[in-house]
Parts: sequence; C-alpha cells; structure tokens
Amino acid sequence: MAFNLTRRKFLQTASLAAASVPLSKVVSASTGVTKAPLDAKGTNGDQTVVGGICEMCFWRCQLVGKVRDGRLMKLEGNPKSIDNGTSICARGNAGVKLLYDIDRLKYPMKNVGERGAPKWKRISWQEALDECGSKLKSTVDQYGAQGICVFPHGSSAKYPMHYFERAVGTHNVSEASFFQCRGIRDAAYVATIGKAPGEKIDMPNTKVLFFIGDHLGENIHVSHIKAYIQGLQNGAKLIVADPRFSASAAKADIWVQIKPGTDTAYILAIANYLVKNNKYDKAFVEDHTEGFEEFAAAISEWTLEKAAKECDIPAEQIKEVAEMLATNAPHVAIHPGRHVSWYGNDFQRQRALACLTGILGAYFVKGGWVPAKGPKVKGTSWAKEDHGHKYDLNFDHEEDEKVYAFNPPGTPTELIRDCAISGKPYPIKSCVVWGQNPLQTIPGQEKMKDLFRAMDFVMCVDVMPTDVTMWADILLPESSYLERFDYIKTGTQWDFSKEHQQYISARMPFIPAMFERKDQIYITNEIAKRMGHEAKIPVKTIEEMVEKDLASVDLSIEKLKAADGIHIQPGKDPYGVPEDFTVLLYNEDIEDAGHPGVPTYKPVDQPPKGFARLLYGRAPVHTFNRSQNNVWLHNAMPDNPVWVNDQVAANLGLIDGDVVGLVNSDGVKALTTTTVKVTPGIRKDCVYMYHGYGSANPLLTIGVGAGVDDQSLITKLAIDPETGCNGMRNNFVKLIKNGKVLDIPA
Amino acid sequence: MNQDFFDVLYNLLGTLGGIEEGVEVRKSINNAKDYIEDLQVEYTRLFINGVPHVVAPPYGSVYMDKSFQGTFAGNTLAFYRQKGFTMDQGADLPDHLIHELEFLSLLVEEKDFAGEEEFLKKLFRPWYQQFHTRVTKDAHHPYFRVVVMLIDFFTKEEDKDGFQPNET
Repeated sequence: MAFNLTRRKFLQTASLAAASVPLSKVVSASTGVTKAPLDAKGTNGDQTVVGGICEMCFWRCQLVGKVRDGRLMKLEGNPKSIDNGTSICARGNAGVKLLYDIDRLKYPMKNVGERGAPKWKRISWQEALDECGSKLKSTVDQYGAQGICVFPHGSSAKYPMHYFERAVGTHNVSEASFFQCRGIRDAAYVATIGKAPGEKIDMPNTKVLFFIGDHLGENIHVSHIKAYIQGLQNGAKLIVADPRFSASAAKADIWVQIKPGTDTAYILAIANYLVKNNKYDKAFVEDHTEGFEEFAAAISEWTLEKAAKECDIPAEQIKEVAEMLATNAPHVAIHPGRHVSWYGNDFQRQRALACLTGILGAYFVKGGWVPAKGPKVKGTSWAKEDHGHKYDLNFDHEEDEKVYAFNPPGTPTELIRDCAISGKPYPIKSCVVWGQNPLQTIPGQEKMKDLFRAMDFVMCVDVMPTDVTMWADILLPESSYLERFDYIKTGTQWDFSKEHQQYISARMPFIPAMFERKDQIYITNEIAKRMGHEAKIPVKTIEEMVEKDLASVDLSIEKLKAADGIHIQPGKDPYGVPEDFTVLLYNEDIEDAGHPGVPTYKPVDQPPKGFARLLYGRAPVHTFNRSQNNVWLHNAMPDNPVWVNDQVAANLGLIDGDVVGLVNSDGVKALTTTTVKVTPGIRKDCVYMYHGYGSANPLLTIGVGAGVDDQSLITKLAIDPETGCNGMRNNFVKLIKNGKVLDIPA
Repeated sequence: MNQDFFDVLYNLLGTLGGIEEGVEVRKSINNAKDYIEDLQVEYTRLFINGVPHVVAPPYGSVYMDKSFQGTFAGNTLAFYRQKGFTMDQGADLPDHLIHELEFLSLLVEEKDFAGEEEFLKKLFRPWYQQFHTRVTKDAHHPYFRVVVMLIDFFTKEEDKDGFQPNET
C-alpha cells in the first residue's frame, strides 16, 4: 500500500491548508529537542562514575561505570575496593545489558486482559498508584492487614517489605531467600551457635576446606572465590561431597560421590569417628559447648560402615576425611553452605555441620569459621510495631506455640499459600510481589497460580517482565541497581592475614532512571499515603535514606564520592573466641518442640523404579532466572543441558547433545526441551541441570523457552519440619526422546 | 486525541489518495467500545511491552545495536549537537522516533536541507525501514499502520522526479 502522490506534489496542494482545523492545532510540535549553544569538543567525553554496587547477584560487588554522554558503556570493579577489587564476574559485566534490555519494564501498566494471559495498557503513575493504594486499602478494610500477602526479594524489596509487615501489619511475608534458600542454614546455626553463619569461613588461611554440595566456581561471588582460590594456593586441602563432579569436585583432594539426601549420615559418621577416637578438640568442647554427652551418645550409631552403606561411599574414605579434619583442626573451614533447602531434612544437616565445626574447635580461629569485625551503619526503615500473634499463620493458638518453631524471619510459604487458596483460617485477598519471581523460585507452580487466581488484587514491581508479572493486575517498573541510590555495603578485607581494614560504600546511580522507572521509596511511600500511613513514612526520598544511614558513621554521599565511592578505615583482628560463645551440641528447645535435640539423620524418599532424582544448581554466568534474558549471558550459556551418567546414557541409547524432554513422577512434563550432557561425573541415580532457565513469559524475548525450567518439575513439596522451609530435591524424572519416555535403569 | 484530530487525519489521508486507509481507521475508531483504550493497549503492545513480545520499540538503537542506548543513539545525539541542538531534561532517549521527527522539522525550519538529507540517510532511514516493516506487519489496529505509512511518506528518499525508490 502506498500513497498515490509524490511529496513535492503534496506540498503544492492547498487542501490541507484549507482544512477546517490546521495540523498544528491537533499535534504538539515540541518533543524535547531544543536549540542550544554549541559544545566545545571534548565536553561530553567519557567519565568514570563511582559508587556503583552490583545487584546482578546478592554478593554486591563494588563498581565504577564508564559513562559517555549519559550512556553507560562499561562496568568495572572499583579499584579502591578491598572486597572484589577491580574484578567483576561475567554477570557483573553484563549489567549493562540489563540496563538497556529492550524487554525491560518502562512504564506502569494495567492488565486489561486476564491474570496469566495479560493485555497490557500503559497508564500514568498517578492512576497506577491510586489503583494499588485503593485496592490494598480496601483489602485491609474488608479483611484486615492479614488479607495482604507479600513475596519480596532483593535490596529494593526491604523497604516495602517492612512497610507491609510493620506499618500495615501483615505477617504474611515470605522471602524466597529464606524459605527456598538459606533460611534453614541461618535458623540451624542460630539454634546452635546463636548466630547466622553467612559464608564466614576463613578460607585463605585454612588448612582444610570441607564442602557439602557447595560448588564454588559454578557459584561465583567474587571475593568469596578470591578467598577460596587463595586458600587453595596457600596449600589448603579440599574435601567435596557432591553426587556430581562439580567445579569444586574437580579441584578436590577428596571427592566424596555421596548418595543424594544422605549428607547428615556422612557428617555424623565423621563426628562419631572423631569422638570415638578422641580426635575432637577437648578444650574447646569443655569451654564452649553444651550437651556433648547427649551428642556423643545420640550419634554413636553412625559407624563408618553404617554411614558407608547409607551414603553409598567407601568407609575408608569417610575415615580419610575425618583424619584429615582431625589432623588439621582447628584450622579447618566447614562451609555452612548457602542454598540448603534440599530434602526437607535440612535443619538437622545444618545443625550437624555447626556441631562438627564445634567439636573440631573451628570457631573464631585462623582458618575456621570467623566473622569479620565490620563497621556498623544504622539502617533506616519503617518503625517496628507489635501486631501480636492473632493472625500469625505460624502460630498454633490451640497449642500456644509456633507451628514451625525454628522458622527464619517471615511466614513459611506453604502456610501462606494454603491459607490464600482455601480461605482458612482467614481470607488473603491481595498479593504484592516485589523483585521476586515466585513462579520460578517457589516449587509448585500450579499452587502459586491458584494463589493468584484467589486474589482480588495482584501487584508486581520488577525490572523485567518475569513469569510472575503475567499474573499482575498492575505492573510497576522499578529503577535498576544502576539507576538508583540505596544499598549501604560494608565489610572488611577478605584475607584476614592482611592489614585489617573496614569499608563503607553506598549504591549510587551511574545514570538517571530511564523512561518512567521509579525507586522503591517513591513507590512505597505513595502507596502508604493512599493507605492512610503517611504519618509513619520514615524518609521522603531514597537519597534521604542513604544520607541518614551514612550520617550514623559521620559520612555523606558527598564524602563517599570524594573518596572514590568507598570509605576505608582501620579494622579489627577478628580472631579469638568470645568468652560467652557456646555451641549447643544438644539443644533442649529443639527437643521441646518435638524434634531431635541432637542432629539426626532422617532418610528421604528414593526414586521410584525407572526415575532419577532431579538435582539442580547454579550456573556460573546466571543468577537464577533473573539473568535469563541478558543477551551476553544468554550467549555465554544459552541453555541448561541435563547431566546423565555415561553408563545410564549408554543403556538408554543417548549420546551427548541428544535433545530430550523431561517428565516427573507426578506426570508433569517440562514445557521445553534441552540437550543431554553425557558424563561419568554424575551418579546413576540422579540427573542434574542448572537452575533458572526455560522462562514461560514471551515478553522475555531471549530467555523464553531457552532450556528447561527445573522448577516446573519440582511438584513434590517437602517441608523441613523445624523451619517450614521447602525441600526441593525430592522430585524424580524420566527423560523423553523422540516422544518416547525412557525408563532410567536402577 | 479528539474528533478534530481524526478530521485532520482523514483530510490528510484524502489529500494523499489514502481514502481506503482513512475509512479503515474511521471504522475501527467508530466501532470501538472505548477507542482510546484500544489504542492504548495496542500502543503498549507495539512499542513498550507486549505479549508475546514488544513488536517495534521506536528507538533507532534497538534495530542497529539490538539494545537501548547503543552507539547509534550516541551518534544521533552527536548529530543533534553538531547542528546546535540538545535534548531537554526529561526528554526520552535521543533516538526516539518522535525526537528524530522533531529534529527533522527543526532542520527544515532552519532551511538546512543538506543536514536533513544527511540525517535521513545516515541516522533515520536505516532503522526506520525496519521499524516500519514490523509495525506494518504486526499492528492489529489500522491507526498505527497508517501513521507509520505517513511517516514513511514524509521521510522516504525521492528521486529527481519525486518517485520514492524501493528500499532494500
């Protein structure tokens, strides 16, 4: 189709000028290009902007940005950093591609279609905030504050999470970082040593590194990896228990190819060997532990032979590991892990690790578990209010005790989902999702969708159109970590053998937020005003929050900028066991709550005939599903091949690169396919894939359908009885090739 | 956007011999329950975020660099500067269609026809052709097909006789 006129001819015609309304009256001519004095050459050259803090993952490395004419050209590690230094990982580099991703959310949008099958309409912030405020207020008015549930994630979600918990007063907040990740670890260590452990092991100065499933190298956090590599360079021995020949297993002195789910038996057998052979740290046990007798008695059943049989590993190897630990104790680093929500028996395993560290005397000593002494910066947020236990789903009113006695902060996800779907014991009718993608972080996707279907109102705030955003009524675009102030990052140098130093830095934007993206303080405050909580607002802007926090240590944004983005001050020696430090080898409170007071192994379900256990883990160039649409990262690792044992593959007639589908023992089929990676580096009873692939949202033009979404196959929902967290490795799969479902030989 | 706007549009289309296109737009507007919402939904789907995915973001860099704010956007801004123009605070990205069209109109006002020709050739048509193809192919609403057709008409190169050659 084309017009039957030339431009010249058209301009000569008079008909347009003769029209009743001239063109200039109905369209605005000014869009934002204006005459300006000419700039001298070089005025707009490259700048190095300081103050960046990465958020491609939660490790949050310190950055500088190379900015040209308002465009971020490149990210680099901040040379002043004593944490990551000038190094950043592949994901950190690829932050530029997140910033300028074409698919990113840009304007507030309203779903004028259906949840799950949205039709988006751009709306103004005013309309979006009015709708969010009025819908959430109406939920509170009709059902109470508990009628709102919140699924937050990331540094930008903390402020809104506190708003809903503290000011509004709902307990129904569930963070994936706790309930589907590290919450069990933190709760177990709190119940053992009184503190969440982080990953605070002194790897550079240790003699032995002990990993259960940790796959550093595939799981990359820059300063953590630096510390790990420094330890290996300094001659540390490495022990890795993993059913798979992971990146860490490849560097290990001892690779324990353990049967999945049996780790606690393995740890207890090591502990029992140390106790039985008097190879534990008697002085430390005497001074800093409680319940040794009960502990020793309860674990005494775990002989090397029994554990060898249970874990399907040689007894001699368990002994070798125990001897290596004993010989080098207390300078041994028992890694507490990070993502530990595996089998639904995880609290006990994490307790076992904490206790093993204790009997080796490996707390607060060189090469052991050593928390750094970092600077203390005040955090500003909504004031805490007591909202009682009446609507706390984790509180059993008949028994007058918690349902899950050792839950991490927030409410266990399944309690919220069950209540929202059933309406019992009370209705939950609005859902706020902030920076989390519960469809790919929380197992049981259909259940999650049922929750959204049961809502009167769903709002999502994110930077990308992740799967969950398809279920929103209102979708709000958030400024990314490169476009906003917020997070205060503090810490120390990562190698305690070096000069003790502390650092304080704050996230500062490299460029202003593009389009109409807004930060979390603006969005939360505007909603709070519309819900009647204006008087409680703690800060008006995100910059004010950062300034307030920095003022608590006599710093300011200006001072930080003048210090190249990072303030460095003298640090403190972190070694030395505090006098009152105690390791509860036996914890009476746990027993009172109806669970074993001494770490206890609970066997897990085994794969049904013809199935293999589905294991998953981190890809070195991706952060869960958050980075799946990033074009650089996608090109580096476009899909997630499924690891299959070579003998199993031979039996099934599979060769490397074959395209396969997957179906689980509940009959749920993955929507997409992937390729097979044939390897002797995995046990026969399991298969493995990287997590965070196979997005179902076509708005992610790069990530959609790339690889298989492991989470879609995780439909059996194990719950850790002490914490209420999910266990996600109790699902079993078969492979499908050319439409034929293949039975995996036992 | 009101009746006056559409009257001007229909008149313009009539002048150009685009009667059929005008009828098609008129039909869609008049038959809609809420034509503004229809246009908003389609605008969002075509240019912002859409299912299955955004069709045609109106930014040059998207086509030339597969990203926002690529080198192409930088070159566009540099051209504005070279001609003595700059972007206002709060403006969209420099390679947004609307800014480029305004810039072209400002060059015409200044009678800088050489500049106009250079900009069209180097910084406008290379991406606009691709944008135009996508919108023409995928737009569900005739209004957007007609608008890109008009932009095409006003920016496409003409030979000495006023014919617009096929572009590859």
